[in-house]
Amino acid sequence: MRRLLATKALLWFIAGGALILAIVRFARGMGATTALTDLTPWGFWIGFDVMGGVALAAGGFVVAGTVYVFRLERYHAIVRPAVLTAFLGYLAVVGGLLFDLGLPWNIWHMVIYWNPHSPLFEVGWCVMLYLTVLALEFAPVLFEAARHPLLAKAYKFLKSATVPLVFLGIMLSTLHQSSLGSLNLILPHRLHPLWYTPILPIMFFVSAIGLGLMMVSCESLVSAWLYEREPELEVVQGLGKAARWVLSGYAVLRLGDIFVRGQGPAIFAGTYESWLFITEFLLSAIVPVVLLSLPAIRRSAGGLTVTALMAVTGIVMNRIDVGGLAQVGTTGTHYVPSWMEVWMSLGVVAAAALAYFFVAERFNLFHAGPVKREQFRYNLPTFDPGTLVAHPDPYTAGLGRYTLAGVFGAAVVLGLLPHSAFAGLSLKSQRVTPPGFGDRVLIDGNRTREAVLFEHKKHVEREGGEASCVRCHHLNNPAERTTGCARCHRDMYQTTSIFDHSLHAARLGTGKGCASCHVDNAALKDVAHTKACLDCHTRMLPATAAVKPRQPPRLGPAPSYVDALHGMCIQCHEERAKDPRVNKPALAQCATCHTGKVPSFDPAKPDARQTL
Amino acid sequence: MRAILTDVTKCIGCEKCVAACVTENKLPPALPARWTRDDGLSAERFTAIERKGTSNVRKQCRHCLEPACASACPVGALHKTPEGPVVYDSSKCLGCRYCMMACPFGIPRYQWGSTVPYVRKCTMCHENRVKLGRQPACTEACPTQATIFGERTELLAEAHRRLGVDPARYQPAVWGETDVGGTSVLYLSPIPLDFLGVGRVQHERALPELTVTAMEAVPPVFVGVGAVLAGVRWIIGRRMKLADGSSPHGGSHDGSHGGSGTGSRGGSKEKKP
Repeated sequence: MRRLLATKALLWFIAGGALILAIVRFARGMGATTALTDLTPWGFWIGFDVMGGVALAAGGFVVAGTVYVFRLERYHAIVRPAVLTAFLGYLAVVGGLLFDLGLPWNIWHMVIYWNPHSPLFEVGWCVMLYLTVLALEFAPVLFEAARHPLLAKAYKFLKSATVPLVFLGIMLSTLHQSSLGSLNLILPHRLHPLWYTPILPIMFFVSAIGLGLMMVSCESLVSAWLYEREPELEVVQGLGKAARWVLSGYAVLRLGDIFVRGQGPAIFAGTYESWLFITEFLLSAIVPVVLLSLPAIRRSAGGLTVTALMAVTGIVMNRIDVGGLAQVGTTGTHYVPSWMEVWMSLGVVAAAALAYFFVAERFNLFHAGPVKREQFRYNLPTFDPGTLVAHPDPYTAGLGRYTLAGVFGAAVVLGLLPHSAFAGLSLKSQRVTPPGFGDRVLIDGNRTREAVLFEHKKHVEREGGEASCVRCHHLNNPAERTTGCARCHRDMYQTTSIFDHSLHAARLGTGKGCASCHVDNAALKDVAHTKACLDCHTRMLPATAAVKPRQPPRLGPAPSYVDALHGMCIQCHEERAKDPRVNKPALAQCATCHTGKVPSFDPAKPDARQTL
Repeated sequence: MRAILTDVTKCIGCEKCVAACVTENKLPPALPARWTRDDGLSAERFTAIERKGTSNVRKQCRHCLEPACASACPVGALHKTPEGPVVYDSSKCLGCRYCMMACPFGIPRYQWGSTVPYVRKCTMCHENRVKLGRQPACTEACPTQATIFGERTELLAEAHRRLGVDPARYQPAVWGETDVGGTSVLYLSPIPLDFLGVGRVQHERALPELTVTAMEAVPPVFVGVGAVLAGVRWIIGRRMKLADGSSPHGGSHDGSHGGSGTGSRGGSKEKKP
């Protein structure tokens, strides 16, 4: 029983972690837990949990059909486990879906708001109905031992309704297994042509039957191994035989469809999709069919287990491919599921598996009856008369260990959670780092490769620290008010001197310091004949400066506001006006912007406020 | 049916339409996020200017005549109004995002950052303007008449008139006239607009047509499968009965019971004592 104990502990570990993730998912939203984007709105949860999950649960209708339609009685022994797996599988699908839906509390809307054009509507209804059918199909197993007369009556009634229920179950399964394929018919733009075909619904249905057979085999063999009982090898061999035919049919259908549509060369194109297809196709069809044809494999439980696992992986991979991986290349997205998505999906599977064990250990699931108490070799239920200590009940024997495993899983997930899971997705509090190359920066406002030195640090200090960046570094987006230079440099038409002569004179010493800048005594004392700033302030031009001036910048007067703005706007306007397709010569004319409201400049009143 | 015609050659990229859209729909600031595409559209921006060389292309919902999003939605939260706009009813939505998958132009966006997320997209100002006979905020704001609003047939005629007058100026097509079954947002453009689509360009016909065959097959398949199952069970049962003349037990035992339940244990138990 060691393997069972270890398996259950592992499942509890995963489930414990998933519980934490479930809380994070609903407390913080999908943005904080998934890697989904506007371009990839469906990801791992849809591909694996829903598309894969429904296919994995196909064993229920396949086995029920084998026994009640084709009347192959020797498969009766596996009907119960198969139906239970299907029931738990569908519960897991719905459980997984509740995490994936943005508004899961509205899931019942499908009952009252109808859109029969939508394959998803049909899938939703079928899954709802089939879940009910499965519950009714399985209920007798639970009521079997019940003593209450009402339950006994229900048991009797449900047993008599088995055949109609099985029929209904198969009819519903046929519809929604194929409709999960139809779901993708509306996505020809997203799905790669190796997967997109008008017969996707048929493809999904056939592969679901193959997967159902292989999944039931898998489950039978694995549960036998876990509970250390004899596997129903004969039954599994029969399933394998059927699977061989179904999977061969699927392979032929798949390849035939690809070649008929003329997509054959895409298989060997060597692209991402071609390798994805080859891997999937080998796993889902070719290798299992070959293995199942080998008598040595068919005879051994190990060989059958490996084969069945391979086919299950392959066909689930097909669902994940259709649901996402085969759309990555065509849409150019970079979606890789987050670890939280994967863990959560595994958590749903773990919960379903634990529920399976729960039922297996209490009810007549297997041919041999419930897993017997004697089979729990650890902690047999005994009572020690000497010490009056009762050993625990076998069903709860591992409880302490399982709890520990669950708590451990939760702790691991808590440790791995990203910051956003606790703090939420706040985008406003991100700090902006100040420029790293000095207090002064060269700015090339006119885009003329002539730069001016800008006292960055002083501006930051004057404007009120880091929070003030936006006052100049505004984004020129529609709803935002821009802060023009004019807010500081008030005069429209007059140049503004950035160079503070009196400050320099005072610092260098009036009367004595002139020669330190006006070096040539014979020349005029103007900007053109004076040292440049960089001659003294050597650190003003940082090595990392993006703008390299053609000559050391001389501090002359800064252009007026009008000149600066004209320099920036007019160039572009003129280019646009010349474009024949724009065909708007007026674009570069003053009146295009100056709509008659601009007053003429009066030199007598240079300080007058001017408006455009 | 009302429509919008956007002439890419006339757009100067001033984004006044974007500003008008933000004001009209009271949209919050568009903060950059992991899940947004870098095409300007997001759950907070229903229209945006995409700059391609010297052309400015205004992106928005195309308001298809046969919208894939509306066809895909399992609860009918999206529908095409008689006036033209395709609108969204958030009270029905369950958040499956099938509409986002189905849209060939990748228009619907999701509020991924919210714990109560909705799908967001351009509604052509249906509720507050188009339904009342007014034009959408974006076309009203356009200073160059690059994007105009009107009756779809009239706008199509105008588009073809422009193509006829100055064919060198445009690509020889009106985008939205027939692609994906026709859209209510039409484009005249000097450059091909295939980049507006998501994935492989599949614009020859309306996408909802692709699922129609499969969905129409649902009722007959349902009934057909039931009939085939009953038939097969009956035939096999009868064969077993005929072959059973010599053997005392077998499938007929099960059949006469009307099914022995999900488990064989009932049957085998009975035999044991």
